[in-house]
Amino acid sequence: MDLSPVTDALAVKSFDKIADICDTLMLQVAAEGISFHDDWPYAIHLLGYFYLDDCDSARFLWKTIPASVKESKPEVAAAWRIGQKLWTRDYAGVHEAIRGFDWSQDAKDMVAAFSDVYTKRMFQLLLSAYSTITIRDLALFLGMAEDDATTCKLSFSEISSASSVLLWDNTRNVIA
Amino acid sequence: MSTVEAVITSIQGLSASSGDLYALHDVLKGAVDSLRTDSELQLSTLDQLDPSKHSLGYLYLLDVLTYGPVSKEKVLLIARFINACDAVQIRLASEKFVSLCKRFKDKVLELRDPLLGVAPLLAAVRKVQVSTKRLTALHPDCLQLCLLAKCYKAGFSVLSDDILEVDQPREFYLYCYYGGMICIGLKRFQKALELLYNVVTAPMHIVNAIALEAYKKYILVTLIHSGQFSISLPKCASTTAKSSFKTWCTPYIEVGMRYNDGKISELEAVVVANSSDFEKDNNLGLVKQAVASLYKRNILRLTQKYLTLSLQDIANMVQLANAKEAEMRVLQMIQDGQIHALINQKDGMVRFLEDPEQYKTSEMIEIMDSVIQRTIGLSKNLIAMDESLSCDPLYLGKVGRERQRYDFGEDFDTVPQKFSM
Repeated sequence: MDLSPVTDALAVKSFDKIADICDTLMLQVAAEGISFHDDWPYAIHLLGYFYLDDCDSARFLWKTIPASVKESKPEVAAAWRIGQKLWTRDYAGVHEAIRGFDWSQDAKDMVAAFSDVYTKRMFQLLLSAYSTITIRDLALFLGMAEDDATTCKLSFSEISSASSVLLWDNTRNVIA
Repeated sequence: MSTVEAVITSIQGLSASSGDLYALHDVLKGAVDSLRTDSELQLSTLDQLDPSKHSLGYLYLLDVLTYGPVSKEKVLLIARFINACDAVQIRLASEKFVSLCKRFKDKVLELRDPLLGVAPLLAAVRKVQVSTKRLTALHPDCLQLCLLAKCYKAGFSVLSDDILEVDQPREFYLYCYYGGMICIGLKRFQKALELLYNVVTAPMHIVNAIALEAYKKYILVTLIHSGQFSISLPKCASTTAKSSFKTWCTPYIEVGMRYNDGKISELEAVVVANSSDFEKDNNLGLVKQAVASLYKRNILRLTQKYLTLSLQDIANMVQLANAKEAEMRVLQMIQDGQIHALINQKDGMVRFLEDPEQYKTSEMIEIMDSVIQRTIGLSKNLIAMDESLSCDPLYLGKVGRERQRYDFGEDFDTVPQKFSM
């Protein structure tokens, strides 16, 4: 089974194309009648969907993975845990799921890139949805410690619009 | 020379130009019966041919070889052939190709490996399709495999064409029904509604099972998408549909009526009471989505009445557990782009905003432009259909019988009653 399109894409870090490449390749391989389930990079495939924020396709893929693969490959189950958190919109849980597993060499770069993209997405959401937010919640949503969250806020400002979010907790107000 | 050898030679010799291909087609049609009984014809005979250059001949031989029980080896051979064959040659014998593909699909389902068939059938649809506006017999089979293999995105690629010409009503029903299910899976409820609407309002003399199942999903998708249930079918639906559907879909009608009332607890009670029916129809997931959408619908109604509201008030009005849950629901709706609002955690308030879209960006203009182009194209088609219909003898005959005829010449204008003689 020739997985070179996937490995090539991983090597040049075009993570946004991984899902499409995996989809097309899987259909081709299946049409040749090869039994591919044991060797297929399901974890990478799932992460490809998460990168594009496509939870539905990830769910459908998970349903087609045979139980034997789910049990024998902890990395696939760990990747799905991220998906479960995304699906149930457990915003803080996603970060825990990312950190809660020792990812393999192949998956590490992709997980890191996804974590980055997800944090940026959450930040955009918070910016558009909140006029004031507690520092504690901010830290939870962005998956950081509270002090990091406040400083990170300032460095994200180049991608945010001009609107400001008032950070609030019991002792101080911080306008950023 | 035996029949098989003669046929192989003809195929190899006559597959070059279109004139030769017509001659070859006649040869093949004549040889089919004798080939069926010829034991010399084996899978290995096909090795002498190239599926992409000799597609027509390969098709005929493969068709004969797969007439009886089909092994997995033959299934893979068909898959390879579909991928490699030449579309022009195939279209000369499109019925044979379609029946081969249908046999392929049945065998793939028997082997319980729908994923195997998805890529070949996607290719088959494109090759046998003369124009993207024409529905082929393979569209529903392709969609069925995509649904079973859970390849929703692949299935959606088949749905993106506007189908204007249909040969068989059953194919069209199945295409729209399966297509609706694929769109539901991808959460494209607008398109799902269009497809299911086509089945529900299609002309029919007796109720058929496909239309009934489509109607059940149609009700649920209408609730999720537009939040309003209307017990009467669209005006253009057939009288059969209008009179019979309701009797077969009572649990769904009840869900619709409770949804209109807007009370979550009553809706949930109805769902629980009828859950075995919904499960039997494989619609329980969709029903649950409809219930979840009622929370969103109720919050959406609040945005029309209030400028600001406290999270606790939202929780009370929408029957949520507490203010935190209300905050999470509002946040999710903002994330999905269903409302525009600003949450103020400090005061526990939500301020509802207007849609900030000003339709000024270049992306928006591109979208509007493509929609306008599509509408112009569709209206041209409609005018052409109207013109051809007004020349159709059947239509004219029916209309002519229903008009009053007067003794004065051929003028069929509406003449007031008192002038008739």
